[in-house]
Amino acid sequence: MKSRLTVYTFSILATLSLLSAALGCSSAEGAELQPPKERLKVATTTSLYESGLWGYLEPIFEEKYGVEVDILCAGTGIALEYGRRGDVDIITVHSKAGEEKFISEGYGVERVAFAYNYFLIVGPEDDPAGLKEMSAEDAFKKLAESKSGAFVSRGDDSGTYVREKAIWRSAGYDYEEITKAGNWYIEAGRGMGPTLLMASELKAYTLTDVGTYLTYKVKTELVPIVDKGSILLNVYSAIAVNPERNPKTNYEMANNLVNFLTSPEIQELIGNYGKKEYGISLFNPCAGAEPEE
Amino acid sequence: MTELWQGLVRAIELLISLDPEVFEIAGRSLLISVTSCSISALFSLPLGGLIHFYHFPGKRFLISTIQTLFSIPTVAVGLFVFVLFSQAGPLGGLNLMFTPVAMVIGQVILVTPIILGLIISALSGVDKAVPETAISLGATGFQVAILTLREARYAVLTALVMGFGRAISEIGIALMVGGNIKGFTRTLTTAISLETQKGDIELSIALGIILISIALVINLALSRIQQR
Amino acid sequence: MTLIQTTNLGHKYRERYVLKNVNLNINQGEVFALIGPTGSGKTTLLKLLDLLEIPASGRIYFDGVDVTHSGGPRLEARRRMSFVLQKPIVFNMSVYDNVACGLRWRHEPKDIVRQRIESALELVAIAEYKNRNARSLSGGETQRVAIARALATKPEVLFLDEPTANLDPVATSKIEEVLAHIIKEQKTTVVMATHDMSQGQRLARRIGVMMNGEILQVGSPSNIFSSPKSREVAEFVGVENILGGVIIAKDNNLVTIEVNGSTIQAISDFIVGDMVQALIRPEDITFALSKDISSARNTFEGKISRITPVGPLVRIEVDCGFPLLGVVTKRSAEELGFSVGKKVCASFKATAIHVIKRWN
Repeated sequence: MKSRLTVYTFSILATLSLLSAALGCSSAEGAELQPPKERLKVATTTSLYESGLWGYLEPIFEEKYGVEVDILCAGTGIALEYGRRGDVDIITVHSKAGEEKFISEGYGVERVAFAYNYFLIVGPEDDPAGLKEMSAEDAFKKLAESKSGAFVSRGDDSGTYVREKAIWRSAGYDYEEITKAGNWYIEAGRGMGPTLLMASELKAYTLTDVGTYLTYKVKTELVPIVDKGSILLNVYSAIAVNPERNPKTNYEMANNLVNFLTSPEIQELIGNYGKKEYGISLFNPCAGAEPEE
Repeated sequence: MTELWQGLVRAIELLISLDPEVFEIAGRSLLISVTSCSISALFSLPLGGLIHFYHFPGKRFLISTIQTLFSIPTVAVGLFVFVLFSQAGPLGGLNLMFTPVAMVIGQVILVTPIILGLIISALSGVDKAVPETAISLGATGFQVAILTLREARYAVLTALVMGFGRAISEIGIALMVGGNIKGFTRTLTTAISLETQKGDIELSIALGIILISIALVINLALSRIQQR
Repeated sequence: MTLIQTTNLGHKYRERYVLKNVNLNINQGEVFALIGPTGSGKTTLLKLLDLLEIPASGRIYFDGVDVTHSGGPRLEARRRMSFVLQKPIVFNMSVYDNVACGLRWRHEPKDIVRQRIESALELVAIAEYKNRNARSLSGGETQRVAIARALATKPEVLFLDEPTANLDPVATSKIEEVLAHIIKEQKTTVVMATHDMSQGQRLARRIGVMMNGEILQVGSPSNIFSSPKSREVAEFVGVENILGGVIIAKDNNLVTIEVNGSTIQAISDFIVGDMVQALIRPEDITFALSKDISSARNTFEGKISRITPVGPLVRIEVDCGFPLLGVVTKRSAEELGFSVGKKVCASFKATAIHVIKRWN
C-alpha cells in the first residue's frame, strides 16, 4: 500500500506544480488577459516613499486616471539611471545638479518642482560636539576639527548624499579627505531610514530630510541640531522621461502626473500631509516654481 | 528580545486576522517561486536525463560547471536579467522589466543549475542494475529513462525542493528586476527588506516568520514523503 | 532445433579478453547449465546471449536471425527472452508492479497483464506479498519476485545467473524447487550459470564447462562427471586423484600405466608409450585392512597420512608410493579403526579410472 501512496503523492505534487505553473503564467500575463490596464512606472527617491507621501497620493491618482501606478523606491541616483534606461516613465527626485544633467543630456523633458522642505542635521540630545545654533557649514567644520562626535553618511547615490558632499565643499573641505578622515566618519550605504536608525544606535550625527526624520522620530533618539540655512533647502521635482529618447515611455500619463502633482488641490494635500501626525507639515508645496535659496 | 517577542505576537495576529496584504505578498512569493521551479523542472528533467544517459565529450566538465553554478550569486543573475530586459537592453522591447515575468525568468536562471545538477546526481544514484534489468525485461530506451526517473523520484523531489528553497528566499533578483512594487512585484523577501529599512522591525519579523514557516512546511512534507 | 547459436563469440573489457571463441548451440526446450569457477566468463556470456551487450567479435543467431549488432531485430529478440541477474534487483514499487513491468512495456492488454501476473506470482509462491513494496522483501523472496517478473512475459528462453548464489540452504532448495517446476511445466528453454557443479547436475540436461573465458567441454552431466576432457575440467568436477604416468603395456583396451614406480590398470584407447593422466574419483576408492578380499584390479598398500572429517564423511589420504584420496562414512572409519599412520589397503576398479592425455 505504501508504494502506491507515494506514487499518488508524487503525481499529486507533479500535477500541483504544473497547475501552479499554468496559473503563474496566466497571472503573470494577467495584464494582457484581463481588460488591459494602463501602467505608469514611477521611480522615486526613498524619502518621498518612506515618508508615506507616495502611498497617500497613489490611490488618488490611480482613481482619477484609471491607471495602475508602479512605484519603484530607490535613491535619486538609481531613479535617474532607471529614467536614462527608459525603464520608468517618470521620476520624482531631489538632486538639482543631477536633474539638470539628466535634462541637458536629453533624457528628461522638463524639471518641475512640486514640493520642498529643509535638510536637518540631527544628532543625540546631549549634542557632544556642541553644534547647536551653528550654520551647517560651521557645524561640519567643527565636527571635522574636534572629532568629538561621529557622523553617519548615506554613502549611496541619493540626493541627501549629494547635498552632504555639497556642504563639505562649501565648508572648505575636499570630500575625498573627509572619507579618509577617521573612524568618526561612517558611510552607511543605505536608505535614509536605516541611516537614521544607525545614527541613533551609534549616538552619531547625520544629515536627513525632514520628512523621513519625522516619520522615524519615534523609533530614534535623535533631535534636530541644525535646521536653518539656504544650503539645507531640499526641493523635490518630477521629470517625465523624454519620449524622443525613449519612444516607449508613457509620456502622456507622465504629464498627467506632473499636472496632478502641481494642481492646487494636490498641492494642498501635500502641504497638509503629516500635519495631524507630527504637528508640522513634512513638505511645503511649491507648484512649479522653485523657491529661491 | 522584546522586539523578537513582539514580532512573534504581531505575526500571529497578522496570520489570525488573515491580513490581506500579508497573504497577498506570501501568495505572490509562493506563486513566483513555484512557477520558476516548475518551468525549470519542465526542461531540467528531460535535459538531466539526456546528460545522464548519453556519453559525450566534455560531459564531466559540463556537470562540474553546473555544480559550480549552484552558488551563483542572486545579484549576478539579477544584474544579468536587468541588463537584458531593461529598455536600453537587447530584450527591452518585450516590456518585461519590473514585472513578475522578469522575476520568474531570473529565478529560473537561478534555480536551474541546482535542479538540473541534483537531478543528474539523483539519476546517477540509481543502482546500475536498474537500467540493465529493465533492458533485459524488454524496455526501450525511453522506457528505461522513465523507470530510472521513477526510481530516483525522491531524490528528484529533493532537487525541486532545494530549487524552491533557493527561489523563495532570494532577494537579489526580486529587488533588481522586480523593483518591489507594492501589489505587483513585492515578495516576502523584498517586503522584509523594505519594512526593516522603514524601521518596522515587528512587521519584518512577522513576514520573516511566515517565510520560514513556508520553508519548514515544505521540508517537513518532503521528509514525510521520503520516509515512506 | 537450434534456438541460439554463437560462432567464435568473443568479448573484452578494457582491452582484456574475457570471452574467447565460444561456439555454442542451445536447443529449443533444453536446460543448459554453464558451470565454471567465479570469473570464468559465465555472466559475460549470458549477457551477450540476452543481447544486453554487443560482442567484440563473433556472431549470435537467435531463431536463425543474426542479432549480433545493434538496431533491427535485437529488441524483438530480447523481448522473447528473460534474464534473472545474479544479484537481482527489484524496482522501488509493489511486487505486483514489479512483475507487471515487462508486460506493460510490451503494451499487453490489461486483463492479460493481470492474469499473467497472478499466475507468475502463484508459480513462485509469493502471491500473498503482491501489494508489498518489493524492496522490503528478503533475499530469497526478492529472487522469487525476479523470477516471477522474468516469467510473466512468457519468455522462450530464460537466462539465470547463479540463481541461488546468495541464498541460504533453505531458500536455495525452495528456488531449485521452483525452477524444477518451471522446467517441467513450462517447457521453456533455460540457460543457467552456476559455480555449483551439483546444481548443474540436478537441473540441467546438458552442461558446458567454462574456464578463463572459454568453453572447455560440453556434454551430458554424467559425461562431464565421468569423462572430463582435461585436468582443469576434472579438477572442477571433483576428480581429486589425478595421477600422471605413461602406458607401458596394452591388452585389448586394458592398459597398464606406470605411476611413480607402481602400476595401475585401466580401460583406455591410448597406446603404449602415451603420456597420460589417470583420473580417479575419491568415492570410487574402497578401503580394507588386508589385501585378500578385494576383487578390484588395482590394490595398493599404504599408510594413512591424513584424516579430514567432512560432514557425515571422512576424507582419507593414503600414501602408497603416490598419494590417493578417498572417502568413507564416519561410521566405517570408526569400525575399521582408522588413524594417521595406520596401514590400509586402497583398491579401485579398472573401469573407475578415466584416462586422459597428459599435457605437461
